Amino acid sequence: MEHHDYQLSMTRRQLFGRSALGLGTAAMAQMLPSELQSAQGRADLNGGIHHKATAKRVIYLFMSGGPSHIDTWDYKPKMRDMFGQDLPEHIRDGQRVTGMTAGQKTHPVCPSKYEFTKHPNNEDGLWASELLSKTGKVAKELCVVNSTFTEAINHDPAITYIQTGSQIPGRPSLGAWLSYGLGTMNEDLPGYIVMHAKTSFPEQSLFNRLWGPGFLPAEHQGVLLRSEGDPVLYLSNPKGTSRKDRRAQLDTLAALNRSQHEQSLDPQTLARIKQHEMAFRMQASVPELMDLTTESDKTFELYGEEARKAGTFAACCLNARRLAERGVRNIQIFHRGWDAHGSLPREHESQCRDIDQACYALITDLKQRGMLDETLVVWGGEFGRTSYCQGGLTKENYGRDHHPRCFTTWMAGGGVKPGITYGRSDDYGYNIANPDGTPMRPKPEMEKWTPGTMHIHDRNATILHLLGIDHRRLTYRYQGRDFRLTDIDGHVIKDIIS
Amino acid sequence: MRSQTLAAQRCLARGTFAFLALTLGSPQQSEAKEVDFAREVLPILSNKCFVCHGPDAKKEDDLRLDSYQGATEDRDGLRAIDPDNPEDSELILRIHDADDPMPPKDADKQLTSDEREILSRWAKQGGKYAKHWSFVTPVRKNPSAVPEDTKTEHPIDRFVKAKLIEKLGEKADLATMSDRATLARRAALTLTGLPPDPAVLASFLSDETTTAYPRYLETLMESPRYGEHQARYWLDAVRYGDTHGLHLDNKRGIYPYRDWVVRAFNKNLPLDEFIIWQLAGDLLPEATLEQKVATGFVRMNPSTAEGGAIPAEFQCKNNFDRTETIGTVLLGMTMSCARCHTHKYDPITQTEYYQLLAFFNSTSESPMDGNKYEYGPVMKAPADQVAWNEWEHLTSQNEALLKELAALKAIPIADTEKPQWKELSRREQLNRVADPKGPFKESALHPKATELKTLFAESEKRFTSTLVAQELGEPRPTQVLVRGEYNQPTGDPVEPGIPSVMGSLPADAPLNRLGLAQWLVSPENPLVARVLVNRIWQRVYGDAIVRSPEDFGLQGKQPTHPELLDWLALELQESEWNLRHILRLMLTSQTFMQQSNQRADLPEDPENLWYARGPSYRLDAEVIRDMSLWSSGLLDDHMGGEGVKPYQPAGLWKALMHPGSNTKNYVADKGSKAYRRSLYVYWKRTSPHPMMTLFDAPDRESSCVRRSRTNTSLQSLGLLNETQRVEMARKLAERLVTEATDDDSRMDLLFTLVASRPPRDAERTACDHLLEQMLHRYRSSEDDALALLSTGEIARNPDLEPAEVAAWTQISITVLASDIALLLN
Repeated sequence: MEHHDYQLSMTRRQLFGRSALGLGTAAMAQMLPSELQSAQGRADLNGGIHHKATAKRVIYLFMSGGPSHIDTWDYKPKMRDMFGQDLPEHIRDGQRVTGMTAGQKTHPVCPSKYEFTKHPNNEDGLWASELLSKTGKVAKELCVVNSTFTEAINHDPAITYIQTGSQIPGRPSLGAWLSYGLGTMNEDLPGYIVMHAKTSFPEQSLFNRLWGPGFLPAEHQGVLLRSEGDPVLYLSNPKGTSRKDRRAQLDTLAALNRSQHEQSLDPQTLARIKQHEMAFRMQASVPELMDLTTESDKTFELYGEEARKAGTFAACCLNARRLAERGVRNIQIFHRGWDAHGSLPREHESQCRDIDQACYALITDLKQRGMLDETLVVWGGEFGRTSYCQGGLTKENYGRDHHPRCFTTWMAGGGVKPGITYGRSDDYGYNIANPDGTPMRPKPEMEKWTPGTMHIHDRNATILHLLGIDHRRLTYRYQGRDFRLTDIDGHVIKDIIS
Repeated sequence: MRSQTLAAQRCLARGTFAFLALTLGSPQQSEAKEVDFAREVLPILSNKCFVCHGPDAKKEDDLRLDSYQGATEDRDGLRAIDPDNPEDSELILRIHDADDPMPPKDADKQLTSDEREILSRWAKQGGKYAKHWSFVTPVRKNPSAVPEDTKTEHPIDRFVKAKLIEKLGEKADLATMSDRATLARRAALTLTGLPPDPAVLASFLSDETTTAYPRYLETLMESPRYGEHQARYWLDAVRYGDTHGLHLDNKRGIYPYRDWVVRAFNKNLPLDEFIIWQLAGDLLPEATLEQKVATGFVRMNPSTAEGGAIPAEFQCKNNFDRTETIGTVLLGMTMSCARCHTHKYDPITQTEYYQLLAFFNSTSESPMDGNKYEYGPVMKAPADQVAWNEWEHLTSQNEALLKELAALKAIPIADTEKPQWKELSRREQLNRVADPKGPFKESALHPKATELKTLFAESEKRFTSTLVAQELGEPRPTQVLVRGEYNQPTGDPVEPGIPSVMGSLPADAPLNRLGLAQWLVSPENPLVARVLVNRIWQRVYGDAIVRSPEDFGLQGKQPTHPELLDWLALELQESEWNLRHILRLMLTSQTFMQQSNQRADLPEDPENLWYARGPSYRLDAEVIRDMSLWSSGLLDDHMGGEGVKPYQPAGLWKALMHPGSNTKNYVADKGSKAYRRSLYVYWKRTSPHPMMTLFDAPDRESSCVRRSRTNTSLQSLGLLNETQRVEMARKLAERLVTEATDDDSRMDLLFTLVASRPPRDAERTACDHLLEQMLHRYRSSEDDALALLSTGEIARNPDLEPAEVAAWTQISITVLASDIALLLN
């Protein structure tokens, strides 16, 4: 469909939607694109807006801080022979490194201390470290990408980049774009939910901008589902106010607003009555959502007892499934603590304990419920970690600096090819490599895409594609430019799509 | 034209906004009608053609349609525009060619038939080019003649009426005047961000003389609340925050800048000086404390000290941010495209971008903030408005003393020392006079000087540090960066300069921030006055004349009232940049004063582009909170000082922040600080107060000159449940119960406070009904009443009946959450 038609049909839809609110259709006909606030997924496109979506929703597991691909998914046995030796110059090849290791005299090769096991997938198997052995059990569902890359080398720019398409704050987040593009399927819950999982290493900061609306209308910002206090901000009635009291208040509020509307004829006033009613419904639907007592013991066997504790990563994953069941399209969990500069084993062991069973459980659970086909699950951080050691290197303990040039992420469900790996790194896990293992230097450019690589813009383009969105056509005009999530780049990686 | 290049598709701006012509006037004109290039043709070229044939066309032989020269160039015997035989222009052929059309069949943006018609007509008329409207300096055209009474009518109304008739036909006219109470509330909210005080309102309503309204406006503009409210818009634009913004998002000491902005508005500092001081106050001769504090503007970019970050990279990022903010705030131009390549639409080259950036590249601060509160250079400045006032008083006393000293002709310094005396700052001169061993120790002014010196020292104890701009001794060289990459500089260093399409710097202008600032506010600058006056219009009428206030470029919206915009821009300049003069003009127009109800008789203009009704919009987050604080009597009117922290749900910051951050714990203020105006609420950039962001306040990490106005269910939850709102409502309830004796007069008072009028019958009936229910309910459960009345820190008044106050609390919450309170109308 031409973009033209799309815009027109959206306008018409909105027009009918609004005209029901009391303003004449003739007036609405004038309300052309400047009024166009957002689109809405189309039923005939399975919820997509540009083409048929294979994923109706996305659950994004964000590992903030940058997990070490070398200790999790990218098996590099040859590094063991190189223990402690300086990383060859041709491997590093002018890569800029952060100020934290730029001054190091040597960059000693630091193999993973963990055992790797090969799990059967739909190809010749998936290597996973013992830290993620449970997730490894769903290898047949995972599409593991060992060739993700970015340019940013520090957390703040890198996480801002992967979440908003720009290293400098100010752009809308991935989730806000999705909300803007797809709207919501559930009238009683927000369309875009963000959770912060607990961690033993609450390092690195998160920022509102990571789920913020940027220059999109603020209604597209992610809504925090919290484990402390009200799950949704200001959800509970004040003390001494019952649900019946609130009902009475809302009836009066509606009467006041209707009286106001009789004078002003402002359709926004009627729209606000609807929002007050939705809030009232949310006061019932959110506690129902958060009430895990309706879950069977089997669920907790699957997710682990941790899932009973509010705010754990496991509980967040279980909530994510419950949200998905209730029609929420856009769910993101942030898990901090992956920034292992010094004591990687201690920190990553704890981090992996937090997530391993939960990831396995989420995929299994969705699969069992027949939801995985239409739910895209995404896992990854803002960058990977270096194959050389930061600080002192022993067999038992080491640290790794930030590494943007090559790292591992995975996706599952939602139309992604199950049980495959995509892309590879060189023998050091340092560079993305050609099939023969020689390093390559992909550069993100509009017209060129290097097969076997996945720049973060490519990744975002692919996520949007699976949800029925052409990343080049989901645009918003701000400051005279039609902005998009993928800036001026991005390629849909067709190789990983079923 | 046949050689469309792939390269030119790089900076994609896809998506279709082909409807501009529809909303901005019908293009269905006769052949003979002269095409207005700037308003009709250029937007089409920019939107549909420049993606390949624009200022950034890559190869030398690419056709360029952004200039007459390019369009008329002979290309193998063909010319896009053929001035000799206009009818044969290749452009006309190609846009109608079914087999080989332009734009190509696969282009994202296709021409509409109306656009083809305009382009053809233009080419046939010779294909003349003109500058984009916003690059031409404004011309004062008198308001179009409207029959009858042109002399007595308000100039704004004459422009608006003429356009109304042009767009909506002869039957169209402004709406009738609002009733005076509505008008009083509208004006007070517009100028001060608060409703009128009941006493002020009553006195205005009882004064029926013709000068009552202008005098009422003056009273409002004299209120200190005025400067606070006007400052807020500016703080959004300059992205004022109390934290550094990136990574740890630590505290930053810069609130004296915010307080200075409030002062500047309250003193009606001319806007040209307002701008010069902020950009370059430190470079002015004998720069004053205020002028230096104002340069906090230059330091407002978010900053980082993330471990391992590369300073050179952030030196660039900080400068990108400043350059692009100047673009948004003062030039109304998107500069960011030109960071990586020559602008695709607007005539700004990549080199020019770096020339503009060069003005900011020679400030002396480190590119990394060190996570420090005092991210130098800093200076000491008054810590709140009381301290500012005191300092100002002392400064004027010092001036008087030195004047007296000069008049005494008693400067007992040898002639040779006189130049040195002049080099001393005024404060140093005072110290000389006060010096017990100095040459003035016998002077009659010596004791007074000594006292003054002590007072200054006392006063400066209440100073705090604030970030300021300072120039390096030697300018830092600036180079163009390939694709905006900090580590890919190319070519020779560029001189500071301005985009040539906007004019040129005077030959004698200093090539530093001061030169830039002076050019910005010079009459030759085509943009700044328009951009400013457009935003003033936006905050008075709810929407701007150019409805893309951040973009006056080729892709921006066209002004709905171009002559009016120019007239106002010149009025601003010629009134010596007098903001109050412009506000007076606007607020006394019928365009402002008319009724705001939607017009059933004029349904053609739901967006109110042509102003057949007065302003009506949902108030901003700050105003919504302030109105409740004020009506409850809780508002603490203390001005200035460190950002304040009202209640906030626990753990919000901690869930986000690095353990090393000094903003990971939110500790709510106790006592009066929690009840200051929202302007003073602590602005943590990575997580501003949720009651602000729920109602569309920006994060202040980047410039915002237009807030969205959304309508969500989460707002409803905040309005009805947030602790401070409940607390305000119960104090308002106590006020109603105490100040009025019966329910009817209590209801009257409530509505007078919030809506500046008594309740309408339907409203009173609805509220009475709720009151009855709630009284019954709380009288049968005093525990619930007491629970409700224990929300928030402030104790309830024990002399009042809990059930009655609780019931009125629920009424107050309800009314304060209704559109009666939430809207300006």
